[in-house]
Amino acid sequence: MNNTATIEYDSEKDQGDVRLLPGDLAIWFFIFAELLVFAVFFIIYSIQRLQHIELFNQYQATLNKESGAVNTILLITASYFVVRAVQSIKADEVEQCIKWLYASLAMGAGFLAIKSYEFYSKFSVGIDLNTNDFYFFYISLTFFHFLHVILGMIIIFAVIIFAKKGKYSAKEHTGIETAASYWHMVDLVWITLFPLVYIIR
Amino acid sequence: MSRLFNTTGIWIIMIILTIFTYAMGKLGYSGTAPVLLLLLTVLIKSTFIIRDFMGLRGVSLLWRSIMYGWLWIVVISIAVTYLMSTH
Repeated sequence: MNNTATIEYDSEKDQGDVRLLPGDLAIWFFIFAELLVFAVFFIIYSIQRLQHIELFNQYQATLNKESGAVNTILLITASYFVVRAVQSIKADEVEQCIKWLYASLAMGAGFLAIKSYEFYSKFSVGIDLNTNDFYFFYISLTFFHFLHVILGMIIIFAVIIFAKKGKYSAKEHTGIETAASYWHMVDLVWITLFPLVYIIR
Repeated sequence: MSRLFNTTGIWIIMIILTIFTYAMGKLGYSGTAPVLLLLLTVLIKSTFIIRDFMGLRGVSLLWRSIMYGWLWIVVISIAVTYLMSTH
């Protein structure tokens, strides 16, 4: 057993020195565009925090760190399940692949439920985008990400339907890799968002 | 077998790093050193996602540069603005 911290990559695409991007190339341009938007958001948040440190520290303390941490674990676990789904389809195990994809959807649903409760707990006491600068960024950033989780789940659900129809196999699984790439982007963004908005002070 | 082992190992490491991040926040650590440590966990977890979960290990340098470039620009920007706020 190779016990180094590496993952063997797709040998069928590894004939030359350079591999192709996994999935459809178009999704990667979409991913790069999305990451650019989130990067701008993060940098503007950091600059605004610099100008209103007391306010940001004061209201950051009102956030539920537990729900943020649990949501991070849910998204990382969803990403792990998606990786397992890709590994399954490469082994031509379609049923197993579908099970992993359903498991990742369950993690995504858990994320949405917790985040919805977080939004509800804020909105129910009159907090909204106009309350102050911190809440403007907290609500807009996390809600924008929330929408991406929903889109990621829709894409995974569509892939499950295609998988059930027998569209994917060890030889042809571009659709699953495309969905996986998008889902990992959603996870990647949250990995920065959680400490930036909930923890760093 | 090794692929499963390594994927699961990376997942567990990321969970541990997330619990560490939460604990830092819960215990109220602030200041330059704790924040740089938190940003280091962001770099480690994000590298795992990009390299191992997204599967960008071994793809063209151009694509990897875009992804890692995004990560480093974001993390350095956060670090710099934080350091400016403490001085």
